[in-house]
Amino acid sequence: MGHRIHTLSSFVADQIAAGEVVERPASIIKELLENAVDAQASQVSVSLEQGGIKRILVQDNGLGIHHDDLGLALSRHATSKINAAEDLDEIATLGFRGEALASIASVSRLTLTSAFEEEPHAWRVRVRQGEVLEIEPASHTQGTSVEVLDIFYNTPVRRKFLKTERTELNHIEDVFDRLSLAHMGVGLELQQSNKVIRRLEAADNETGFNRRLSVVLGNKFVANSVFLDEARAGIRLYGWVGLPTFSRSHADKQFFYVNGRAVRDKLVAHAIRQAYRDVLFHGRHPVFVLYLELDAGGVDVNVHPTKHEVRFREGRSVHDFIFGILNKVLRDLRPESQEMGHSVEGVFTRTAEGCLLRTAEGSLPGAAEGSLPGAAEGSQGRLGLADVRRPLYSALGVQGASAYTGRVLDSPFGHTVAAGSSQESGTTPPMGYAIAQLHGVYILAQNEEGLVIVDMHAAHERLTYEKMKQQRSDQIRQRLLVPVEVEVTQQEADQVEDAHAFLEGLGLCVDRVAPTELLVREIPALLMNSDVERMLRDVLADLKLYGQSARMLEHQDDMLATLACHTSIRANRILSLEEMNALLREMEQTENSGQCNHGRPTYVTRSIKELDSLFLRGQ
Amino acid sequence: MQFTTTREALLKPLQLVTGVVERRQTLPILSNLLVEVSDSGISLTGTDLEVELVAHVNEGIDVGSSGKATIPARKLFDIWRSLPDGAEVNIKCEGDRAIVRSGRSRFSLATLPAGEFPGVDATAGDVELSITAADLRRLIEQTSFAMAHQDVRYFLNGMLLEISPGFVRTVATDGHRLAMCTLKNLSEGTGMQAILPRKGVLELSKVISEDDGDIALAISKNHICIRHSEYTLTSKLVDGKFPDYEKVIPRDAGEALCADRNELKSGFNRAAILSNEKYRGVRLILSENQLTIQANNPEQEEAEETLVVEYVGPEVEIGFNVGYLQDVLSVLAAETVKISVSDANSSVLIEAAGAEDSVFVVMPMRL
Repeated sequence: MGHRIHTLSSFVADQIAAGEVVERPASIIKELLENAVDAQASQVSVSLEQGGIKRILVQDNGLGIHHDDLGLALSRHATSKINAAEDLDEIATLGFRGEALASIASVSRLTLTSAFEEEPHAWRVRVRQGEVLEIEPASHTQGTSVEVLDIFYNTPVRRKFLKTERTELNHIEDVFDRLSLAHMGVGLELQQSNKVIRRLEAADNETGFNRRLSVVLGNKFVANSVFLDEARAGIRLYGWVGLPTFSRSHADKQFFYVNGRAVRDKLVAHAIRQAYRDVLFHGRHPVFVLYLELDAGGVDVNVHPTKHEVRFREGRSVHDFIFGILNKVLRDLRPESQEMGHSVEGVFTRTAEGCLLRTAEGSLPGAAEGSLPGAAEGSQGRLGLADVRRPLYSALGVQGASAYTGRVLDSPFGHTVAAGSSQESGTTPPMGYAIAQLHGVYILAQNEEGLVIVDMHAAHERLTYEKMKQQRSDQIRQRLLVPVEVEVTQQEADQVEDAHAFLEGLGLCVDRVAPTELLVREIPALLMNSDVERMLRDVLADLKLYGQSARMLEHQDDMLATLACHTSIRANRILSLEEMNALLREMEQTENSGQCNHGRPTYVTRSIKELDSLFLRGQ
Repeated sequence: MQFTTTREALLKPLQLVTGVVERRQTLPILSNLLVEVSDSGISLTGTDLEVELVAHVNEGIDVGSSGKATIPARKLFDIWRSLPDGAEVNIKCEGDRAIVRSGRSRFSLATLPAGEFPGVDATAGDVELSITAADLRRLIEQTSFAMAHQDVRYFLNGMLLEISPGFVRTVATDGHRLAMCTLKNLSEGTGMQAILPRKGVLELSKVISEDDGDIALAISKNHICIRHSEYTLTSKLVDGKFPDYEKVIPRDAGEALCADRNELKSGFNRAAILSNEKYRGVRLILSENQLTIQANNPEQEEAEETLVVEYVGPEVEIGFNVGYLQDVLSVLAAETVKISVSDANSSVLIEAAGAEDSVFVVMPMRL
């Protein structure tokens, strides 16, 4: 008997499918929320009991399901989202597999109530033990409700794997947050035992977006991030990236969406990490909310039932696109916020039809005034701008600033103020003019907004480093007297032969001397004392995964960073005002000057307002 | 344990033995010196478990009572050298303290039990050799500069010692350049090779001076023991296979250039100032009886040195890390050096024009 083959009952098949899709209450919430969004709902609410283990109710005001379709909706491979196999190539909805409801129904007691727009009243259908019961009339406003009771009541093994109510709730919050950022236009509510945990109003302007971002990523994110929006060759990337100084110790606040779908993709993660490589403090993770939009045919989402993974048709160019844009944005973070004001404003109007509806009303009246070309009252407009615009960098907490107030200014330059230069010329540069040096470590400067404090070693280190990077040449190589032998797999050795030219370009001259043995004969002169074998292995691993490698560059950058650190001015070097001003001017010109080579901030600003509040002025 | 001596009698032994002791330790007793006092004199031992150096001092010691103890090495040495010249010092162990007295100074140092001091258990030597201090010193001096430093190919972080019928040879390479010194007519033993670790070589070069007379080497499978009247250095050997150095020494290296060593050296020294400070590249342009050295740095500053040399052959342009050339010219004692160059991508051979006990190979750099 045991050796004969037979077809599984549909109930068992559903439970197997549920094993892939329904892992815990949070996965049910994800499926149901996605269904609601696909049904064009504008308001969705989620109610939980016991972290969703006891009861989940997801209610939306979307299109609803027709009476005749109710039973069908609960059977496997039934969907309204796609029709033919060709549709799989261009999936525009979040779901498409048509198995979520059936899977959920197979492991819980499910009730589906829906009011289709043209029908006089709603209908309800229940599923018990995999049996779809009679459809009965019910009362419901336009839209659909799905109630899920007693998850895994019939699969005790799974039930044992559920964690505490608190943990399950955390997972649900994660899913909820992830989805909420992808669909800013949908009002969302999450409550447990009739207590509201999250209430996110539908957002269609900057204030609304910022409010939602603050709820999910914390209050400081908005002030510590930049908005970007770039499109090229049919791909568009937009969203918010956190400043390098606003990093986290865990990679938990990273949201990446491909065509509105939250994904965790190795390729994307690598591209972003590369972009932050040079500016992030060791072991820290960036914060970002990014949306990638591309032609639905360019990406395959039908990789995994939970759809966390995607496959890009042009992986390499997507990687380069993301890296290129982020790298440029991060590099262009300069202490000059005027330019920034314009570009943000431009973005608002351009994105008006995007899925993130942004309107020009969010832009700043001061900025508009100040941007009038050749305006006679130029200074007037600028002042207005200075009032409204928020400083690009304000990563330091208030406690940092209050520490300084306790210290005495004992610098020999303490009393000299660069008043003349700033007032005469009429415009103060973003980094302002130096006033004094504090304890031989910090430069104090004043700009239009208030105080700028610069860590002079960190700043000079970055300037030296960037200069060295520009002068770098990969073409200078040291030939090895004793070539380094590297044992590799046959596959890796083949790879080396294929990528010979690429490796040559990196300054590595590698020969294959046996099926599994490589000889490194030449290395970049700068990496003379590095571990050649490890470097080559890293490069090969990168090549295999991402089709390229920035390892050699990274290693060289490390060497340069150390060198830069040693050749930069150190603490306790007394600088004259001219020297300090020269440093400030150079910072305005240099890429990445906001962070030192190790990712620490090089300067912080305190506006006059913030300083006033320290002294309780004007309160 | 108690003895009295003068500052000068122990200053040098203390300095050398303390040199072996690592500054940072995980095993506390390794930062101590083992001091053993017997009727005939005292011995000081320092170790880092790889290299052990024992100094025997017989003269100028007035032994009070024999015994042994371990005393913090660096602290004892720092006290010792700060004492006034000619000071008389008394050391006495009481319980777990060592009391150092000199004039009106008194220091009490914490000791650890001597029984816990780790010894290097060197077995009897398989190969033994007697060599003059001057010869050993030359073997080390000519090659030790080319040893690798913290290379992953651990066998390069040391010096190869080869004893063959008819000659003793040392070789060191860091993968970019190689130095080899061969002294003939020294031994008649069987052929053997051993790699001395970098630290052992550096400590050894401090210990031996030219007028030390004969030195006894005993090499076993894992250790080398080097003995002379005052010091005994025992070092572990690096367990690994040294690269086949014969293969990398160009035997028929092209045309030879002969030049005055001092002129060449000071030319390189001057050009080096304007070379890139990180990889220190210089360009050598060889034409008939003329050598031009060029260097430039990222600031686009340039140096050019032109030297008159003996050279007949095709014009060659070749790049080098100037540091490697300077190292070679510093240890070469001869007045005239011979540099054999074949082409821009192949190694060059540098040797003294007359005496040929040392050869040096340097790999070019592609500029």
